[in-house]
Amino acid sequence: MKFYKKYILGITLLGVLSTSCDSEWLDREPPNILVDDQVWNDTKLVTGVLSNYYDRLPAHTSLTGGWVDFAAYDEAMWSGYSGNDWLNNLVTYDYGRWGLWDYGLIRDINLAIDKLNTLSTLPAEQRTQFISELRFIRAWVYFDHVKRMGGVPLITEELIYDFGGDPSYLQYPRNTEAEVYDFVISEMEDIAGTLGNAGSKTRANRFTALAVVSRAALYAGSLAKYNSAMSAPISLPGGEVGIPAARAAAYFTKALAASETILKEGGYALYRSNPNLGENFYEAVISKNGNSEVIWAQDFLLSADKRHGFTYDNVARSAREDNLGSSAITPGLNLVEEFQYLDGTPGILKTRTADGSDYLYYEKVSDLFANKDARMYGTIIYPGASFRGQEIFMQAGVAVWNGSTYDLVESNGLATEYSDGGVLTSAAGPHRSIQEVSNTGFYLRKYVDNAVGSSTRGIRSEVWWVRFRLGEIYLNAAEAAFELGQNGLALTYVNALRERAGFGTNSLSDLDITDIRHERRVELAFEDHVVWDYKRWRIAHEKWSGNPNNPESMIYSLYPYRVVRPGDERDGKYVFVKSVAPRFRAPRFFQMANYYSLIGQNIIDANPKIVRNPFH
Amino acid sequence: MKLISFKPILILLLGLLAASCEFDNFEAPKSTLSGRIVYNGETLGLRSTGVQVELWQRGYDLFQKIPVYVDQDGSFSAVLFDGDYKMTLIRGNGPWLDKTDSIDVQVRGSKMLDVEVSPYYHITNSSVSRSGNNLNVTFTVNGVNTSRALEFAAIYMGRTIITDAVRNEGRHLLTAQNITLGTPVTVQIPIPASLAGRQEVFVRIGAKTVGVPELIYTQSEAY
Repeated sequence: MKFYKKYILGITLLGVLSTSCDSEWLDREPPNILVDDQVWNDTKLVTGVLSNYYDRLPAHTSLTGGWVDFAAYDEAMWSGYSGNDWLNNLVTYDYGRWGLWDYGLIRDINLAIDKLNTLSTLPAEQRTQFISELRFIRAWVYFDHVKRMGGVPLITEELIYDFGGDPSYLQYPRNTEAEVYDFVISEMEDIAGTLGNAGSKTRANRFTALAVVSRAALYAGSLAKYNSAMSAPISLPGGEVGIPAARAAAYFTKALAASETILKEGGYALYRSNPNLGENFYEAVISKNGNSEVIWAQDFLLSADKRHGFTYDNVARSAREDNLGSSAITPGLNLVEEFQYLDGTPGILKTRTADGSDYLYYEKVSDLFANKDARMYGTIIYPGASFRGQEIFMQAGVAVWNGSTYDLVESNGLATEYSDGGVLTSAAGPHRSIQEVSNTGFYLRKYVDNAVGSSTRGIRSEVWWVRFRLGEIYLNAAEAAFELGQNGLALTYVNALRERAGFGTNSLSDLDITDIRHERRVELAFEDHVVWDYKRWRIAHEKWSGNPNNPESMIYSLYPYRVVRPGDERDGKYVFVKSVAPRFRAPRFFQMANYYSLIGQNIIDANPKIVRNPFH
Repeated sequence: MKLISFKPILILLLGLLAASCEFDNFEAPKSTLSGRIVYNGETLGLRSTGVQVELWQRGYDLFQKIPVYVDQDGSFSAVLFDGDYKMTLIRGNGPWLDKTDSIDVQVRGSKMLDVEVSPYYHITNSSVSRSGNNLNVTFTVNGVNTSRALEFAAIYMGRTIITDAVRNEGRHLLTAQNITLGTPVTVQIPIPASLAGRQEVFVRIGAKTVGVPELIYTQSEAY
């Protein structure tokens, strides 16, 4: 017993001694999180916060977020995994499509600005730079809100609840659509001088801010003009939706001024490194090697394991390196025919004789696409075009002469042989029903990586997502100038872009708004513009009218067939058949209620001051 | 010790009781609300799923609307729980004056409800006859509320009863200049080739009001 007592005493003593030796036991730096003082006083950590916010920027269609929706409009359809065929069967666009209400991100940004102002002891200049960049991100997020929702509440500081039981002082009504655009533009103009980051293509600098002004002011100006020009403008009594027509000119002036500053002072230039104009246009978007055209991009890097599967999902079937995937987004014939011939004539592909009595016969499948706008090659892989140095040959079947007409024979597989020993259906299709092979007769080239291995799931791609490039700034300047009546100036900018596409100097001698819209469609396809452009011009409901007889609401395909007519000079040549793409079912249908997205009932329940959008 | 051995029995009993409860403690709704959109007692022709009425029920945690789509013949129906609802019509949705007052709907068992609206325009005295490959169409557009102008009237032809401005095989447009309100309009129009060979062609006449996406139609009938 005595023995034990000694030990108990000893252990107790030990316990008493050990607690007394560390008086700050409960007052230590946490080992697993960073506290405010640490974060906001360390430039590296603040940069880390910024990079998190850049990564959370909303996007409707980009390489990582929402890219399948490239196949939901009139540029392309879905030819990939058949479980995603709903993209071809969209009976209507949901009212909540394009909806965005990301006040979580806005709050985080407001908090960061607040803490840099109050807690940080970094040099004033450094803090101003960080705050400018945060304000840039915040204004960009508001721009993304206003183009989808109309006016939203502008919250620029942290909202704190006092637990008094009445949250109504935290409930802000929606600002007007014009106020939000004004906020975006004035913020950008305000911070342009203090953003720093000169020369960066991934962090915002002065010219990135001006590029946002160029786009946002153009959107606001055309909303003011074209909404008011509707037989019944879409508006709300409080102006949450609808910008007065009188403001159009001021917005267009701002857009033109910002665009011209970028063009003259930015040091950017249209990409012209490759003498092959088609490849040049492709590289203008995806090349990271001394690209003089890209202004702001979301970058990816293999070595940092920041990469994406866009190439795996969208590479042409016969060029795929994985055993699955490929061919998801396939451009339609509609878009292909938008690309003009180099002599300036409309791009309708010539598949039939002038009187429609017979096919036109082509020696090679690619001959049909000769002498077209180089941007077609740079955007789309058409039958016979090359990708990664290999020809993407496409043939849907054979056209067998039966004495009076042709029987079109197709295969139920790919890479099959016809009884005459020649190709029946090629390895790249197109095919009517098989998944993961083109259903339209075309594949996507823009943003699909030509690096070896990039279409495997193991390696994937590091192609960047371009948010702004100089090509768009040229078009913004042209459109703003045209809307201000400066046709000559608009012509200069449009012709500069067309020259890069192979049209020669001064290919247009006169232009109207349809020329500018057409130019945007072919230059900026698959760069997340078509929806927003159609919305701001108020033509989306006419383009996508839900009527199967409206060719603009449908997706068309072009199937090449090899002629089997032994003994005839036409034997072995190719003919082409245009039709509605077989896997495409429902015409695109954009209703008036789609111009502004649905504000969720949960948001209205929490804040009764929020008014609903028109037709909702 | 005696007390402790008692406890497991209690827990067992509780388990048995819980297990005997029903798996799903809500019964599926059984009551039906059905109704029509009417003007002067006449059901209005509309575009299938074009018009939506909303049902709201207060008093529960989740305050969300129950959307009810209206059929092309102007009728709608919903299966609901018994209860008190408020029905609202979405502003600018249908071809009638905004009706901003909500309608009280008490659902007990089954309930019929006519929603009276005041359309901008109304088509009456329509008659259609087929002669060869042509249709002879007569109708009168009446202005009920002319605060918004008439944009056009159109004759839609289709293969199915669901024929409207969006789904049709052929249409004939009459701009507002060709129409005098209250006076019959008679036109002869060709049947499009895709329909000419068919026994039945569904015909509807629609009138479009400026600024209202949905048209008002006559009922879809086959000729």
